[in-house]
Amino acid sequence: MPFLEFHGLTKRFPGVLALDGVSFGVERGTCHALIGENGAGKSTLGKILAGVQTADGGTIRLDGREIRPASPLDARGLGIAMVHQELAFCPNLSIAENLCLGDLPRRAGFVDRAALRARARAMLAAIGADLDPDALIGTLSTGREQLVQIAAAVGTGARVLVMDEPSSSLSAAETRELFRLVRDLKARGLTLLYVSHRLEELFALCDRLTVLRDGRHVATEPIAATNPPRVVTQMIGRELAPAAPLHLTRPLGPECLRVEGLASPGKFAGIDLTVRAGEIVGIAGIVGAGRSEVAQAVFGLDPAATGRVAVRGRSVPLGSRDAALAAGIGLVPEDRKRQGLVLGLSCRENISLASLPALTRAGWVRRAAEQTLARRYTERLRVRMPSLEAVTAGLSGGNQQKIALAKWLARGCDVLLIDEPTRGVDVGAKAEIYRLLDELACEGKALLVVSSELPELIGLCRRIVVMREGRLAGELDRAAFSEAALMRLMAGVAAA
Amino acid sequence: MPLSVRSLLRFQESGLLLVILALGSLLTAFSGTVRTPLFERTPEGGRQRVFVTNAAGERVPAFVEKNKFLNAQNLAQLAKDTSFTAIMAVGMALVIIAGGIDLSVGSIYALASVLGALVLNHYGADGPGAASPGLGILLGVAACLGTAALCGLLNGGLIVALRVHPFIITLGAMAILRGIAFVATKGQSVGSFPAAFRDFVRREAGDGLSFVPLLAMVLVTAAGWIFLARLAAGRRVYAVGGNELAARFSGIRVERVKLGVYLLSGLAAGVAALLSLGYYGAATSGDGQGYELNVIAAAVVGGASLSGGRGSALGVVLGALIIQMIASGIVILGIDQNYSQIIIGTVVIAAVVLDNLNTWLARRRLAARAG
Repeated sequence: MPFLEFHGLTKRFPGVLALDGVSFGVERGTCHALIGENGAGKSTLGKILAGVQTADGGTIRLDGREIRPASPLDARGLGIAMVHQELAFCPNLSIAENLCLGDLPRRAGFVDRAALRARARAMLAAIGADLDPDALIGTLSTGREQLVQIAAAVGTGARVLVMDEPSSSLSAAETRELFRLVRDLKARGLTLLYVSHRLEELFALCDRLTVLRDGRHVATEPIAATNPPRVVTQMIGRELAPAAPLHLTRPLGPECLRVEGLASPGKFAGIDLTVRAGEIVGIAGIVGAGRSEVAQAVFGLDPAATGRVAVRGRSVPLGSRDAALAAGIGLVPEDRKRQGLVLGLSCRENISLASLPALTRAGWVRRAAEQTLARRYTERLRVRMPSLEAVTAGLSGGNQQKIALAKWLARGCDVLLIDEPTRGVDVGAKAEIYRLLDELACEGKALLVVSSELPELIGLCRRIVVMREGRLAGELDRAAFSEAALMRLMAGVAAA
Repeated sequence: MPLSVRSLLRFQESGLLLVILALGSLLTAFSGTVRTPLFERTPEGGRQRVFVTNAAGERVPAFVEKNKFLNAQNLAQLAKDTSFTAIMAVGMALVIIAGGIDLSVGSIYALASVLGALVLNHYGADGPGAASPGLGILLGVAACLGTAALCGLLNGGLIVALRVHPFIITLGAMAILRGIAFVATKGQSVGSFPAAFRDFVRREAGDGLSFVPLLAMVLVTAAGWIFLARLAAGRRVYAVGGNELAARFSGIRVERVKLGVYLLSGLAAGVAALLSLGYYGAATSGDGQGYELNVIAAAVVGGASLSGGRGSALGVVLGALIIQMIASGIVILGIDQNYSQIIIGTVVIAAVVLDNLNTWLARRRLAARAG
């Protein structure tokens, strides 16, 4: 009998059935992958197990005993912990305080700081994390913070650890560190439920794999008995042909965007690049290399920026977002929840947000025109939503990203800066977004794509510029594309 | 099923209407009756008492039994009292939806009142400008509304320019503006306005219904509704309150939106001040003390979310009505006046808790239907 068993698990949300009678088992001491498109229900399943949400139907058995975790605390009592995508700690407190928050060591009513530090150090040491217990959580990178979450889980005696997209915002080095830790935890007998989009990662790390689609269970197989194309087909329910981008076959138009000597103190300097109409240029670099900062400066969001930005030969004043907008520049920011969308507004209202001037007559929003615009782009991007009036907070990541893109397409920008076009987006939606970017290039738009996923840039771009520590480290033409070449430029090592 | 902000709000407004109906029924049922003299119209258009002959053959004045709550006079009074808070609450709704707060509305109301009053007094029957009351009224209205708008603009300007939390700026403005009002009037009441002004605002329709404040409330509510639900400017207010950073990334001039909502909130306080000048015929620097709390309470009871991005003009007006009904209910039911603050405070908290519950239930219902 499996160590952890789901039977007929069901969960409803407004507008969707997130889980529809899901049943499968997880063996003790294995790393079990949970994969599916956004909205397939994998995060929901993890959250139900960890007591963050409660199921509407079905049962969960742990070690033969039926459990019903009603809260994260309850789940922790049962030996189940979760490593979240979202912030799980108080950023204004130290690692030690966060680790012991539920049970601060006390002496005569005062917090015993020495005991606190000692206990935290022991918890960190247990997972081999070399972190200062006095460091504030808010100052840590996402990867480090995740380590603290894992330390907290292991330190409280977790037997089952749910990891929800643990690698989605980690650098390559942090990801390697995470993998080492996962293998180590497994060796210690912990059972891991590993939720991810990244197939390579699952195949490298996990023992068994469960595929969910639209809230239903599709398959549970040993990793050894399956392969990535098969899993992708199971995930999306159809074959996915990776077509070469069409825009590469089209002639390039005139130069559209020119950046010369762009610099911002403490962020980046000496950035020169050009994008022609109909071209997709990528910016690669490790997290912190200054890629997003460059995109934001081109969009006029950096008041300290110096240098020159020109669209079709005409200079665009720096530090003025309004001037950038007037020049036809649009920016799809990297963090859709924080920067891209007003989550409390509907799909229609989000899509029209950057186009309001064009949709307005004498101050009034032209409803019909707004509806038409929103419908056109939700159809073109195949956004799955209950209706145009649904609030974007309830959509899956992939559909939210499509809305964030739709907002700028609706405005009809000539130059689109797209920062992490597919972060946290599932395979199916990813393919749709790539197809869309290709179409946009074919239509003669100039696209500058910032991405941490090298295969994405390699598949999509005509040229890739690489940034390292705020400077240009090199530029590659499509013929010279390879992950190794890009990595070398990103890391600053000479070719072997 | 579509789960949209709009459908939730519609749900919420119907919830507010239900509360108002329930309150009204309760007050009607428990308020008891009052004997009032019966009047009739004379052929000349005046009013005179009606006399009847009783069993003993004497001519005695006639009385009618009226429900203490549900009678024309009381309802007219209720409507009039509501209109001042409601007008200011519409302005407050804009600020709150944009993610801000305006604590200075009571003081703006006071300063606009007394500056308007000083001008009107100058042109009043006893003033040096008595010869041209028309010009006086025009200047008085301009002074009142202009002052209020300027105060709002200053609030917004300071919040945007100094990047200080609106709570602090408007808390400071609350004290400063009332202080200016006090200095300007030396703490004295200012009255004696051109008669035409007072007559206009106090015009009555039928039996004691002052319809001018009521009409102003309807107009301001309609304007607020159009602004928020139909104009691009209103959409920007929701966007800024919902996610300021995303609004900025979408090309919205966030500073301008903030400036606008504080300006309009000030202006709304000015409109209320103008009505009170006409209605009460005098102003002092102590007017509108504590109004900011009633107005914020009305907005919150009416469903405006203090975390921004949510609320409607109609909702806050209904919120103002609920608060006024409770205040007048306390009088009608003969409850000790000293308890009124306690009751209103409790209602504000209960309303917000109920609203959260309501939203939660609506979501659950939608979820169940989807399944």
